[in-house]
Amino acid sequence: MSHKASSRNGSTAYRIFQYVVCIILAILSLFPFIIMIVNATRSSAQIQAHALSLIPSHYIKSNLAVLTSKTFHPLIAFRNSAIISICATALCVYFSTLTAYAVVAYDWKFKKIFFAVIMAIMMIPPTVTSIGFYQFMYKIGMTNNFAALILPPIAAPATVFFMRQYMIPALPMEIVQSARIDGAGEFRIFNQIVLPLCKPGMATQAIFIFVSQWNNLFIPMILLTDKNKWTMPMMVSQLAGDMYKTEYGAVYLGLLLTVLPIFVIYFLLSKYIIAGVALGGVKE
Amino acid sequence: MKKALSLMAALSLMLTFAACGDSSSQTADTEESKADSSSSEEVSEESSEAKSDGTKEKINVYAFTAEVPNMVQKFIDTHPDFAAKYEMNDTQVPTTNGEYQPALDAALADGGVDMFAAEAAFVLKYTQGEGSKYVAPYEDLGIDISQVETAEIAPYTVEIGTNTDGKLVGLGYQATGGAFIYRRSIAKDVFGTDDPATVQKEIGPGWDKFFEAAEKLKAKGYGIVSGDGDIWHAVENSSDKGWVVDDKLVIDQKRENFLDLSKKLKDNDYHNDTQDWTDDWYADMAGTGKKGILGFFGPAWLINYTMKDNVHDTFGDWAVCEPPVGFFWGGTWVLGCKDSDKKEAVGQIIDWITLNTEEDGLQYMWANGTFAPNEDGTPGTKDAVASGVVMKKSNGEVDILGGQNMFDVFVPANNFANGKNLTPYDEKINSLWRDQVRQYTAGNKDRDAALADFKQAVADELDIEAE
Amino acid sequence: MTGSQKHLKGMSYARYGYLFALPFIIAFLIFTLYPTIYTFVLAFTDAHGVGNEIKLLEEPFGNFSKILSNKTFINSMKNTVLLWILNFIPQITLAMVLTAWFTARRVTIKGQGFFKVLFYMPNIITAATIALLFHALFGYPNGPVNEIITSIGLRDSSYNFFTSKTAARLIVAFIQFWIWYGNTMIVLISGVLGISPDIYEAADIDGASSSQIFFQITIPNLKTVLLYTLVTSLIGGLNMFDVPQLFLQGGPDNATGTAVVFIYNKAFTGKQLFGQAAAASIIMFLIIAVCSAILFYIMRDKDAIAAEKMKKADMKARRKGASVI
Repeated sequence: MSHKASSRNGSTAYRIFQYVVCIILAILSLFPFIIMIVNATRSSAQIQAHALSLIPSHYIKSNLAVLTSKTFHPLIAFRNSAIISICATALCVYFSTLTAYAVVAYDWKFKKIFFAVIMAIMMIPPTVTSIGFYQFMYKIGMTNNFAALILPPIAAPATVFFMRQYMIPALPMEIVQSARIDGAGEFRIFNQIVLPLCKPGMATQAIFIFVSQWNNLFIPMILLTDKNKWTMPMMVSQLAGDMYKTEYGAVYLGLLLTVLPIFVIYFLLSKYIIAGVALGGVKE
Repeated sequence: MKKALSLMAALSLMLTFAACGDSSSQTADTEESKADSSSSEEVSEESSEAKSDGTKEKINVYAFTAEVPNMVQKFIDTHPDFAAKYEMNDTQVPTTNGEYQPALDAALADGGVDMFAAEAAFVLKYTQGEGSKYVAPYEDLGIDISQVETAEIAPYTVEIGTNTDGKLVGLGYQATGGAFIYRRSIAKDVFGTDDPATVQKEIGPGWDKFFEAAEKLKAKGYGIVSGDGDIWHAVENSSDKGWVVDDKLVIDQKRENFLDLSKKLKDNDYHNDTQDWTDDWYADMAGTGKKGILGFFGPAWLINYTMKDNVHDTFGDWAVCEPPVGFFWGGTWVLGCKDSDKKEAVGQIIDWITLNTEEDGLQYMWANGTFAPNEDGTPGTKDAVASGVVMKKSNGEVDILGGQNMFDVFVPANNFANGKNLTPYDEKINSLWRDQVRQYTAGNKDRDAALADFKQAVADELDIEAE
Repeated sequence: MTGSQKHLKGMSYARYGYLFALPFIIAFLIFTLYPTIYTFVLAFTDAHGVGNEIKLLEEPFGNFSKILSNKTFINSMKNTVLLWILNFIPQITLAMVLTAWFTARRVTIKGQGFFKVLFYMPNIITAATIALLFHALFGYPNGPVNEIITSIGLRDSSYNFFTSKTAARLIVAFIQFWIWYGNTMIVLISGVLGISPDIYEAADIDGASSSQIFFQITIPNLKTVLLYTLVTSLIGGLNMFDVPQLFLQGGPDNATGTAVVFIYNKAFTGKQLFGQAAAASIIMFLIIAVCSAILFYIMRDKDAIAAEKMKKADMKARRKGASVI
């Protein structure tokens, strides 16, 4: 049948098209990383003359020297960023899942209102609260305290929303019921049965949250004035801050060092992205 | 994966407890301590500091670059008596995206700052504006302000640093009077000589002469400046009035004329149409731009901080001469805080930075390149400084200018500078203005529309109406 | 198990619902509600600058009327919507196409795990870095893009992307699109994987073509997830800040100035007019709330039906047991 034949030809062309699109997008994705790596090896003057180049240079040592010669230390900033991001991510994912479980698994009087409120919070732009938030933190003396950055993500409506959508099809209530019959406490059921079942969904969210926490700049900048509490992005922006004499080479090296841990976390959790995380109500 | 997750969970729990250790008490008694929380916490923080660091007291320094903290450190390093009692605790927040001011303001309100640095773009907020309530007059810091006269401090530095009660609260260490910094080889090619006295007469005085020179340069395939931003600083700080007078927007005639100057540059192709602080602007310093560029407008710091690392092959091919109009650009002021309990110590540091004219004072080192000499012991970066006395006994010969003594030009240049046309909102208003000027010169709107849109934007963003 | 028994059971477990939602509620009250109320109160005051006494305005809605008659704010609102549409349409389209490719069961793309991982990567770099890179890329007059268009003869002279409103908007929209399409794709793929395989098997038996399956089965079953994407993207889009602010500071001529850039400038630069910034924030909140309410109305409709179904599905799921995972 000619129709089938042509569609087969078409499908070969179509497949080539698919791969071409994917490869172009992949190159686009890699481009900033390549530039970052190359520029980390170039001198500030070279970068100022031509910001984009694919030819590495030999200034990585002097860039590192600039980076470490400042009064703050990358290792300390790294540790601070790690504490804040890991804690915030873990708390956010754990409590969002717990909250989603409360909405999915139990019938309680104010459940519907509660869920509607979660949706409403999602709509409040963070800028609305940022003014009030930072003045409040100053008032109660939470400046220079990681808790001011770690605790707020416990109430993350978008994550709750996602976990709820994820849990509805992925969590068989039957298992919960049988565990109850076995006499397991509700909290234990959640920790030992529900959490492991939700792992793929939690992993995806963990990536999203970790990335946004790690890159968070503005609020930490205002809240953390003690240099020993600075985060990686703050350190890099400090390097870029002297507009009259920016150390671009060191900035790129700093950016590269900043992005590396995200890489590690991302690739650790990326198998869930590769495998895919099922989400959405099962409809029949 | 399981391990990674559980490890993460365990680790985070541990860290949370660690991090919350000192915070839980704070959150728990939020209600009661709200009223006096700030004071009580300060006390506890300070006492803990004292314990951990022996007897040394900390001087809290806020700055937007490492420059001032480095100076404070140098003072401590060179004054053992002082070092026995004090050490520095510096906080550096960049101004790039405007983070410095919110952070500084919050810290000032908290009382956690002893001294801080402010840039020309926003210094007035702290010397005369809203931030001035946190600032102590130099007298109260134990500084002998009669030294302003004896050190011959540049008058505009003093004007800007004087509060509304007429008291001196801040001084800069640099002198930022501007010059025209030009390429010797291009001057020779077009004007027949690279002698500053002659070049100065070719390009000025006044903008008419400047454009005559631009025409000559164009005939030989050169541009006179890199972009319109280069002449903006000359226009801005040579004008008679600032942007805001009595809370009304004022467009000084000289600043309004910038529209026409910029348009003329663009329409006649007198420049490379670059924007300052971009790659192409730097390329013109190295002579690798579209066409050769005669020069840049700038103070001494532009040569030593910005151009030095960017001129590459044109190193030594530069010279300075008097600009077609006198102007100044930038500068950093040092201020002490009213609430500081170490006023005398702060005063000693500020005195050393801004008023000391001796060879071991900051200004002499700053001007002669001995503050941070090169590794081989030769003088490092040299800069023009605020004290006339120091300038007279300093040597401004630098290699990038082919051995020319730049102070010959920069010392008189300071006479043009005045502090009368600055306002606390300059940074914001300048960016709105430059934006509209670019729209006009690019041919996207006419002159009247650009002016009207500028007024609208200022009214909308700053609540400052045009007069 | 009879209905009444089940009801009783539900009742006895209800307190766990409250208990488990408690940490969220507490964190919300402290870190979101209080600051929000604080902001709402500020909107009725003359709060500005540092350390000034805050007074209630004599005219309570003075800040609101000022903001609503503020041309730059109105312009910023328009920009926000325009930039969101400009990035969201290509973003959702590409994400859908990629989702279709990566979830196609007949012709699988080789190395799709690799591609999926790469496509999300632009999302992990800070906006500051991306702004820096794109600024260099489109540099005028000698940036790489300009060098390409002049060398292949597309134009005689360089094009100043940074003074052209259209060009600046398109670049910002492109950056947003490029950062977020991978994220959207991952969410959509998750949604497709949540669709019961039975439906596809049935379609296969009926001899449906790939495109038929995609449009007639995948898309309709993806509605909840699409709405999730739409709502989160709308909220994110209306809050767009980093890229426009860091790329051209909202310029040229406020062409890429979004509402949040405006609010930020009001609150943290110049006179630091917190009161007006708070009023603008509330106006933004109301707009987002109305837009989302419309979307949620569509969603709720489905939810109500789904809720009924869910109870049945619940029972069925229990029968299916662990096989779902």
